[in-house]
Amino acid sequence: MFRLKHFLEQSWLLIVSSFLFGLLIAVTNAALSPRIEQNRINKLNDRARALLPGVERFMPVEAEIVIKSGGRAERIDVYKAESKPGECVGWTFSASGPGFIDKIELVVAVDGNFEKLAGFDVLASSETARVGDQIKEPFFREQFVGAPVGDLIAVRSGDTSAKDEKIVTISGATITSEAVVEIISSSAKQIKKELQKKGLIGDGENR
Amino acid sequence: MAKTGKDKAGIYRQTLLDGLWRENPVFRLLLGMCPTLAVTAAVRPALTMGACVIFVLLCSNIVITLMRDLLKPHLRILMFTLTIATFVTIADLFLKAFQPEMSEKLGPYVPLIIVNCIIICRAEVCASKNAIAVSVIDALAMGVGFTVTLCVLAAVRELLGSGTILDARVMPRAFVPWAAMGMPVGAFLTLGLLLGMVNYLTGRKA
Repeated sequence: MFRLKHFLEQSWLLIVSSFLFGLLIAVTNAALSPRIEQNRINKLNDRARALLPGVERFMPVEAEIVIKSGGRAERIDVYKAESKPGECVGWTFSASGPGFIDKIELVVAVDGNFEKLAGFDVLASSETARVGDQIKEPFFREQFVGAPVGDLIAVRSGDTSAKDEKIVTISGATITSEAVVEIISSSAKQIKKELQKKGLIGDGENR
Repeated sequence: MAKTGKDKAGIYRQTLLDGLWRENPVFRLLLGMCPTLAVTAAVRPALTMGACVIFVLLCSNIVITLMRDLLKPHLRILMFTLTIATFVTIADLFLKAFQPEMSEKLGPYVPLIIVNCIIICRAEVCASKNAIAVSVIDALAMGVGFTVTLCVLAAVRELLGSGTILDARVMPRAFVPWAAMGMPVGAFLTLGLLLGMVNYLTGRKA
């Protein structure tokens, strides 16, 4: 009893302040989170629009798409890109995974049939400036344009202009390059399967 | 003994001058070096960082000065950190909501204000020992002093590193940007030279 009394005498200010400060952060977060989320969606759409030119609007896929990322199930927001109502010209989604320093977050675009990648852009990364950070540069990103949706392979050297599954890594930033290849390859493959399961795209055998 | 109005005015003036120059956090106390070196490649991020530090300093000094009589000596650092972390989180949320690009540019350096020595130093040295008026003046003076210093450093680096100030071209087209100025080496070099210059000038005055 004495111990409890002593504990409360010493720490009541800390307990009350923690509660009040927590409340203050919760209120601020509740007030600002819709705006922060909207900023995230706007950014995603802006980047995706650059990857899929001519797109009029991005319609969120209502079906729940869940993929395995780093051993955990993760819900992914997939958007259907339409040039005019009902005319699908592609799909976009954001995917993330561990990089060399921290998590890398990407926006990935694929064609209407979910057969070929239309490209990717970086939404967030803390990779080393001028080294791993080069994943944002066109010379690396362009290798993904036209590459097949499926198992991509990171290679140290090769033809960067070939539209195949081989992606040449950035010299000095092999881990970051491989991380990007893995994120795109794994997420696109799983999302394709999920969309096929839900009948949103053909299974490839009917065409 | 109660202080007269003249005494109070003198204390306020001294607190203001201390923060702005005599105890300038960067040039005189050498505190808060992490953001000083990391976000001064251009003026705009330096200004944003400065504004965040002013907000956090002001709020934390006000809260700490109001609770100063209730603070237990052995729990005070914990209370300071809790207070500072709260306002830094709020500043970070505001930045993400209203300046998303700048928030992205500053990256982890906004959350890192929590461990900025200037803020905890002012809580310990000033806010926990003085009345609200002195604490507010101290927060504003230290915050503005820090912001101005950051902006001076950033202006030199941006001018030499890309030929611009606040993204507006200042240098002639023939000017070749000095790429090193945008890199960490530019921050160390500029800070060292500015510190040397300030020491030389203040030494001569003394």
